[in-house]
Amino acid sequence: MIEAKNLCFQYEEEAILQNISLSIKEGSYTAFIGANGSGKTTLAKHFNALLMPTKGTILVDNIDTKKYPFAVRKKVGFVFQNPEDQLVHSIVEEDIAFGLENIGMETRAMKERVNFMLKELAIGHLAKKNVNALSMGQKQLTALAGVLAMNPKYVVFDEPTTMLDNRNKKNILSIINTINEKNNIGIIMVTNVLDDIKYAEKVVVLKNGKMIFNDKKSKLSQKIIREAGLDA
Amino acid sequence: MLKRLSFGQYRHKDSLIHELDPRIKIIAVAILSASAFLISSYYKMALLSLLVLLLIAIAKINFSSLIRNIMPLSSIIIFILIMYLLFSRDQLGNGILSIWRFLLFVAIALILTFTTTINSMVAGIEKMLGPLKYFKVNPRTFALLISLTIRFIPSFFLYAERIRDARLSRLGNLKKAKHIKLLFIPLLDRVFKSASTISDAMAARIYTAERKSYFNNIRLGAFDYFSLLVLMAAVSVILI
Repeated sequence: MIEAKNLCFQYEEEAILQNISLSIKEGSYTAFIGANGSGKTTLAKHFNALLMPTKGTILVDNIDTKKYPFAVRKKVGFVFQNPEDQLVHSIVEEDIAFGLENIGMETRAMKERVNFMLKELAIGHLAKKNVNALSMGQKQLTALAGVLAMNPKYVVFDEPTTMLDNRNKKNILSIINTINEKNNIGIIMVTNVLDDIKYAEKVVVLKNGKMIFNDKKSKLSQKIIREAGLDA
Repeated sequence: MLKRLSFGQYRHKDSLIHELDPRIKIIAVAILSASAFLISSYYKMALLSLLVLLLIAIAKINFSSLIRNIMPLSSIIIFILIMYLLFSRDQLGNGILSIWRFLLFVAIALILTFTTTINSMVAGIEKMLGPLKYFKVNPRTFALLISLTIRFIPSFFLYAERIRDARLSRLGNLKKAKHIKLLFIPLLDRVFKSASTISDAMAARIYTAERKSYFNNIRLGAFDYFSLLVLMAAVSVILI
């Protein structure tokens, strides 16, 4: 379980997140929504120990992100908004292996794991391709394969559909739902597009760094959506 | 035009040069470049060029993509030529030789980057720079720094093209110094944002300066040593 306890984050005197307390269960699908600048990406980066709270704590399976960031990153993967900027190596299979090299997986096991991920996400034909020659959808799948290869317990998706066309959007949302249902991986979906939360069980709404809603998706009202600045 | 530039981008082909250990290829680049630097006659330069062309053919590199990668450098070549014509006409022969040498350097570097994946190159550089750790320089960080630079060259040109198009669509004139400044400031901003995201992405995938295992576990074999010997013999014949 991921738990935030009275989480506050300040950047240059400005309070970006204020007093956030919540919990995310294993294998659940939670969406974090809010307008631009509401603090949702900042909050998501705390789950992967990319940012540390100014006050309060974040615990991932009872591991404090401040004390053991590497242990936390093994449990929580992070898929960024722009796949272009998260692929480290130039060849698809090598990029998928990047995280596995970092955790010290043995070469043969690493190759097997990479092949498994390529097959799982149906991108085997791209294995030897240069990442600069891929479409945005293919880049996003490569980034996702690189994260899933590390066998995380939770994956944070930071606005994963922003750079994609409609077909790729549907595809990636369906894949995210499948890995949640089939592999029981906890999903944390950060978005400001309401269509992206269709598979979510729980929704957290942020406004100006404060949490204004944290409940089942069925209880999310138009009033809250309007208040968060997400109405059309 | 910029989008088609693929400098430093690996192309998967089934060739003998692709098979070579990256360390051998890096050493070969050093030998060939040093030879190009030492040669001062047209005859020997032509022989070295033939050797480089032979290596390009063995590596199965498409000549059109090679030319495409050299074309953006034409302005530099023309500039050097004009400088020689204006200020040192009696040294024009040397000028042509300098340009030829410059083109050879580019072609030699392209053979390496077209036939070596970044991961292999990192592994090769890392192993070669191993002794640097005694001077508190981390070989993995150094090698990754080089490889990330190569990986992001096309992205850099893509950003530049997008910003240039946005400027031109609003009637910007990129021949004016003020407008060029307006191209570079957003470009730098975009590059810094990219660098920040890639560093976050690497941290998220548990990157540390300490190497734990290799996806491409490189090992020098008999064919690698043999290839290096053949190259050294060929270069020696040209130089002598």
